[in-house]
This record gives sequence, C-alpha cells and structure tokens, in this order.
Amino acid sequence: MAGGYTGKILRVNLTTKTISKIDTAQYEAFGGGHGIGSAIFFDLVGDQLPFGGFDPRNVITIMTSPFSGTFMPSSGRSEVQGLGPMLYPIEWFGHSSFGGRFTSQLKYAGWDGVVVDGASSDPVWINIVDDKVTIESAKGIWGMDTWEAQQEISRRVIPNLRYGEWAELAENRFSTQVPAVVCCGPAGETKSRLGCLVHGAGSQAALCGFGGVFGSKNLKAISAIGTGGVPIADPKAFLEARLWFRQFLWDVDDPYQADKYEGRGLYSLISGQPSGGNVLNTQLPLIPARATACASCPRGCRMRLATGESNEAVCAGTMAVNVRSTQSMGGPLAPGAGGFGGGDSKLSRQGNDLMMKLGLGHWQFMPLQNYLVSLYKRGLLGKGKKIDCDLPMEEAGSMGYYDTLMRKIAARVGIGNDLSEACARFAEKYGMLQEDLNNGNLPLTYWGTMEHYDTRVEVEWGFGSLFGERDLMQHMMANYPLHWMAETGSPYLTAEEAAKMYTDAMVPYQGDPMMVDYSETGNYSDSKVKQVAWVKHYEKFWSGAGGFCGWRWPMCITNNTPDHHGPTPNAEPKFWKAVTGKDLSFAEGMATGHKIYTLDRSIWVLQGRHRDMEKFPDYVYNQKSRGNIMPMYQNGKWSYETGAGRTLDRAEVEEFKTKFYKFEGYNPDNGYPTRDTLEKAGLKKVADLLQSRNKLG
Amino acid sequence: MPEDKNKESDETTEKKRYSRRNFLVKSGTVAAVQGLVVLTPAIASATANPAAAPDKKEQVEYPASQGYLVYDSKKCAGCTTCMVSCSLAHYGVQSLSLSRIQMMQDSWGKFPYDVKMAPCRQCITPPCVENCPVGAAYVDTKNGNVRRIDSEKCIGCQTCLKMCPQQPHRTVWNHTIGKSSKCDLCLDTPYWDEKGGPGGKQACVEACPMKAIKFVAEAPNQQETEGYDVNLRNDHWLNLGLVDSSETIPPVIAERMKNAPKRRE
Repeated sequence: MAGGYTGKILRVNLTTKTISKIDTAQYEAFGGGHGIGSAIFFDLVGDQLPFGGFDPRNVITIMTSPFSGTFMPSSGRSEVQGLGPMLYPIEWFGHSSFGGRFTSQLKYAGWDGVVVDGASSDPVWINIVDDKVTIESAKGIWGMDTWEAQQEISRRVIPNLRYGEWAELAENRFSTQVPAVVCCGPAGETKSRLGCLVHGAGSQAALCGFGGVFGSKNLKAISAIGTGGVPIADPKAFLEARLWFRQFLWDVDDPYQADKYEGRGLYSLISGQPSGGNVLNTQLPLIPARATACASCPRGCRMRLATGESNEAVCAGTMAVNVRSTQSMGGPLAPGAGGFGGGDSKLSRQGNDLMMKLGLGHWQFMPLQNYLVSLYKRGLLGKGKKIDCDLPMEEAGSMGYYDTLMRKIAARVGIGNDLSEACARFAEKYGMLQEDLNNGNLPLTYWGTMEHYDTRVEVEWGFGSLFGERDLMQHMMANYPLHWMAETGSPYLTAEEAAKMYTDAMVPYQGDPMMVDYSETGNYSDSKVKQVAWVKHYEKFWSGAGGFCGWRWPMCITNNTPDHHGPTPNAEPKFWKAVTGKDLSFAEGMATGHKIYTLDRSIWVLQGRHRDMEKFPDYVYNQKSRGNIMPMYQNGKWSYETGAGRTLDRAEVEEFKTKFYKFEGYNPDNGYPTRDTLEKAGLKKVADLLQSRNKLG
Repeated sequence: MPEDKNKESDETTEKKRYSRRNFLVKSGTVAAVQGLVVLTPAIASATANPAAAPDKKEQVEYPASQGYLVYDSKKCAGCTTCMVSCSLAHYGVQSLSLSRIQMMQDSWGKFPYDVKMAPCRQCITPPCVENCPVGAAYVDTKNGNVRRIDSEKCIGCQTCLKMCPQQPHRTVWNHTIGKSSKCDLCLDTPYWDEKGGPGGKQACVEACPMKAIKFVAEAPNQQETEGYDVNLRNDHWLNLGLVDSSETIPPVIAERMKNAPKRRE
C-alpha cells in the first residue's frame, strides 16, 4: 500500500474487552471509508442477519479514507456504518458521516478505521493515542452531555492539557492538538432512536440512530489523537494537484464575478463560500464570527461565533430547531418568537445547541417537532387527547418548550419515551402512521426519514433515497448546481447549457443531457435510470470510500471559473493516484461504487429487503407538488421549470424500478442481485450466502 | 547576495533595535534561557565539548531575516491545510506533528479566541540560534538570513525547543529522526519544486484557502497583535457576513440598504 493508508484497522470487542487489528490490505479493493466498512460488516456478521440494531452483535464501523488527514479538498468526514435503529420499517444496515477532525486524528494515530462490536457490561470509552489503545471506564462521564463529555475526556487523555501548547503524548512524540472525540449524548445512553453521534461542538452523524447503538453497547465515546502522518505515494504530484484545485474555489480575496454572486444569499450554497452553512447569523447586527472548516476543507462552511453559540454546526444542524418550522406547520408560537432569520435566531441557536448537547439527531428531530404541532392543531395531542401528554404545546416555539421536549426525549420520560422511538414508530404506536404518511402530514418519504427535496420533481433524490436506506443527503449531485442555481433567479448557465455541461462530466454515462431532464416524461426515462445509478455509484465510491463531503463533491459545473467547467471527473482520479499511487480512472471508481452498492443491497436483502418494500407513500401520488425548479426539456426546448402541480404515476414508478434493477444487474421481480452481477463484482461469497437463503436474484 | 540588499536605512535599523528591545523586555527570555541551559544534561554534555559548542558571545547582532510570515488569525478557518502542506513539502507525508507551522483551535471557544496560529517568527534575535550548543540552528546568510536548523548538525538535545519563548514553541521536534526542525520559509522542500525562501513561495501561503498567511519582507513589529497577527481581510470577506464587530455592516448589504425603496410614511 504505497500511500493513503496506515495499513491497519482497529477492532474492539466490548463484550470480551479485546483489542485487535484488521489488515487494511485485505479490503483495499473497496477503496476505503464506506466500501471497507460494508465489507467488514458483511464479513463479521453478514451470515448472522437479520438481527436488530441494539443487538450486541451489531458492528459499528467508523472508517477513514485514503484522503483522511491529507489536504484533499473536503475529505474530512468520518463514515459511520452499522444497523441503524432509527430506520423504518427495518433497522437497515445504514450509514451516516460527520465532519470535523476525528477522521484525520484517527489516521495520524495510525489507524484506517475503528470497528466496534459486542457490548460492555459497564459504561466505557475507547482511548486511542497513537498505537496505544485502551478501554477506559466512563465513570463520571456517563450522563454528561456531549460537550461536557468531550472536554472531560480530553482532560483525561492529556491531564496537563493546556490550550495552545505542545503536549507530549508519548515519549518524545508531541502534538499541539486536542484529542478528537466522538460520543453519544444522554439520548444515546437511553437508546433513543433519535440518538446521534456528536463530535466537537456541532458535527453530527445524524442519521440512523448510531448514538443509540453506542448507548446499547455501553460505549460513551471514542477519542483519537496521533502524532504520526499519512504517507503520500507522490507528494509532488499531490501538492501540485492541490494548488491546481484553487481555481475552482471561491476566491476569498477576489471572487469571480463578485458583483453577481457575493453575499450570504442562495449563491453561497453554489459557490462554496465560507461560512454559508450556518443560517443563524444572517440578520443585522451580525455577530462577529469566523468561517470554520473541517480538516482539509477549503470551503469552511461553518462558523464559530463571538457568543459561542451554534459553533461548528451546519445546515440542518442550524435549522432543526427554528420557530419557522412550527410557524410553517400552522403551529402555535410563544409571544416574541419571531421566526427563522428574524429576531429569534438566538432562540434557534440555543435550541440547536441543546440538541447537540443531548445528542439528538437533527434530521429526525426536525420532522418530529413539526409532526407534534400538526397533531396538536388537529386536536390529537395534548392533555386528555388521543395522545395524552403534558407537553406545553401552547408554548411551542419557545425555548422552554424545546427544553422540555428535548429533555423528555433524551431521558425517555413520559411522552418522551414514545417520541424517542422516532417519528415512524411513534406514529405507528398510536395507529396513525399509514394515514399520516399517505396524507402527507408525516412526510417520511423513504425509510422513516423525511422528504428533503420534492420527489415528484427532483426525482433523482427520491429514487436515490428509495434505492438506498435513508435520505440521500448528496447536495452536490444535482441539487445545488441545478436546483439551487435556478432557484436564485439568476442562473449562470441556461438550462440547456447546464444540462449539457453537467452530463458531460457524468462519466461513464457522459454525453446524454436527458439524464438531467426533470420533465414529467424525463423523470421516468432510460436516461434518468442512468442518472440515478450514477448518483448511487458516486455516493458509494468517490464520496463514500473517498470520504468526500456532499457539500463539495462532485463538482460537474461551477460558477467560480469563467468557463464553468468543474473539476469532476478529472480531479478525483488525479488526487487518488497522487495519494495512493494507483492509476484508477474515474469510471473504474464508479464500477467499484456499483460493487459497494451491490454489497449494501445484498445486506439489505439479508435483512428482508424486497422490491415490494421500495415504495413511496401515497402522498406523492395523490397530492400535487408545490414545485421544485429544475431543468426540463419540453416541447423541443430546455427551460427551468418548477413542475408545480405534478404527482408521480404509480405505474411509471414501478416500471422505473424494473428498469433500474435490470440496469444494475438485479432481478426485476424482487430486486435481489444476481449471481452473475455479484461474481463479476468479485462478491462470490455474497452470492453464496444469498443463495443459501433463497435470496439470489 | 547583492551587497546593497544588506544595507539598511537608518529608519529601518532603528525600528529593529526598538523592536528587539521590546522583544527582550517583553519576553524576559535571556536570563531564563541561560538558566535552563545548565540544567539540561544533554546540553551540559554538548557544551563540555569545546568543539561542539560555539563560543557564546554577548550582544550578538544577527542580520535580520529578509522574510517573515504574517497571518490573520481572524481569517483562519482551522482547516489545517497550512500544516499538512508544510509537512508534505518538507517530508513527503502529511502530519500535524511534523509541521513547522502550528494552528490550534477550541471547538467551544468564542471568536476570536478560539484559534491560535503559530508560525515561526524569524525572530530578530533568535533564541534558537543563540542557544543551540552545536551551531545547528543558524542564520543562513546565503539565503536571506533565514533562521534555520541544520539537521545534520542537530544532536537532538531539544535546547531550541525549550529556549523558544513562544507558546507553543515554534521549533518543532521531528520524532522520526530525533532532531529539531523549524520553518525555513520553504528554502529546502524536497517534495515541492517551487523556489522558496525570501523572494520565493511558501507552501502554507500558497495552499491556505482563506489566504490567511502572507509572506512579507520587512520585519513585523515584534509585538504579537500589532506585528505578526495582522488584518488580511478586505471587503469581500466582510460581504461573507464575517465581521469582527457587530457595528460593521457588510458593504454589499449597505449598498442594498442604500438602494432599497423608501417605505411610505
């Protein structure tokens, strides 16, 4: 392994309290990150499936990529995988990721990843300092919120820790850095399905409920700090590639066409402007702040504020708690609650901070708070109502309300015990799930996670999620460059230009602009099948195995350069070769993405997945879309249109599924991977296991 | 080196004297430094060998470095790109511990106290050079007077680490070879073909996506806040909404407010 890998993966069995190593080389064909995580999960417990997320056999992997710890742009994410208790109706083998410094510190400590299985009899945390790994008692830490726990653990790792000074971590091995800690909060400790993992002040692995899995294992945290380095196969080429990449960045001193794109508006999403991911500091007077980046990231989409509020939080981590949500649902608002972006941004900042401290996943808390207001307004929730509870719903939107609600969920107290089961199971308990899914009151469009972008129009997001196990969460696929560019009202490319340029970069399916035709017919086309496959393969390899941030990659087009060509598909293999020494083409990477996706799908099949389960709720078929602007080809010409009023067609969706399964090499009758597909991908042992279960496609 | 480049105007010389006085008085380093020297066994051993230890001279005047790194700690986003660029250019690996420029951050800190940047200051009177018992730390008069460490001569006594008055110390321990290192302004970068040093390029400067590090030829004021930690932001930065005072209105917003139609009474 010439570069990019340390060569060993840490395995910790909490039942037996044993610490061992896995040789990374045996999994090198999966690239890193998500690929290696999937392969290890399958090898360790694939033949024992199905079982639940809180079962001690559940394996949690936190993987780095070959780029972790390097300055590969926006590669600072840690990939977390395992059975996800938040997901519905089955606790699918899921994935989530978080930014910050953990992935780089783990690499500097000499590890390509951490694999945790079993469950401890008493609360513990894992302490990684270079090669030295210990399982420590969490006495005095268990019960702490995520912020307190991380700081206490840092003090235990480096007792003489002094900010801004060198610390000797081992004999003559020094670092100025503080340990990178990822932990669950009180919500995880009670095995809440909303429980997430938190790192730093505002980085969450929000999806899948992995905080609850930590809790089920009596594992409070993993801390990593290292003094080593990441070997680079071709250092000169890597440095040159990184400097070459500058042309695609938002130039902070001299931005391209600043007069058109400057400011903290929608274009900040598209341009990659620093700090644009925190939406809670947009009103005058502004709070003094810095842009804050994950390790390696030249974007720095986060902030740290002079008030210390909403530090390092981004996107949904700054939006999950905001009074606009209750307002948009027609909910009650406490006096003085002024709405998102208004005078009560402070409330939102404080609410989001509490969410972080308690370790509640933002992507599940957001629909839950909306649903509660919906139930209250419909007279179904409150004192003496069908859902009898003492939540102060008349104060919804106030900090007091959020405080009460969140603490009840985290502690599983009263109604909080039911809410802690997350939206789908909460609604199911009260016999309202199917009705509210189908009428749109509870828009959990895919696997218990809420609708992100309107599936009826931005259909690749919907299909990409449905053919997965959770919300797609890949903004740079088509969402920012195509949807949000048009949403600004001043797109830098016409719909025709955008369709052509974007799809020219979509190797190996390049040259077919109809892949991004979001017209009613285009959304079920053979070209759309290719786009959805491209999304899944990129997600699994370049993003998943490469540890890329979905807010940066892919970059098919950009408004930061005069010709608007983005670095994709040239940058990915350029960086890969420089770091690993392997001459991997973009298309070969995508083929590995298909392999990883097929492996994931096989694991879901072992858990019970069948094409009949891959269904959208009824509301997408019977309720009209409010629109979601995208490029469309209609009546012989391209234009940006909203698609408002559209619904999906059930028969067309089923036909699309058939085409997608065939395209991917799966049996269209059941969606199972075929032996031929598995063996061509080098997954013969997976085929054998599926066959033994009568689940081979 | 052209002779005229070594000439200093009276004004510059005076400024540097002033700066040096400030530095010595402010840090109080000299007495502390000498006290520590005799307490270190490795140094005692080295100084016992006259061949290894250079003559100590009082009031040594060092020619000023012709290059310095200044930085804007309010502009830094904490991505550590500068650090891994440094280690890559010098050693071919990406490592924070080997980096000759350090940056620290506190996730829960309050701006601007949440970040500390720590490049070598190329001190006017460099304690690392003054106190190195074997002359491994030196002023490279052939290359712009950059303060450097010759790893061939370094005996690994760590004196320079202890003598550096800055926190964290700007001399950096390279545990892979058991020797000290420090910023050479990229004069010697086996893994980067660009010409470094004064007049050349520095990897951290080139790679920093926030453009928060800058090379300057003139010696900065030796006081931290006025000298090295400077304002490298312009109006484009303010237009991102990143102000350092709540009273500041980003120009792009001020312009919109000016052009906005007035509300009817």
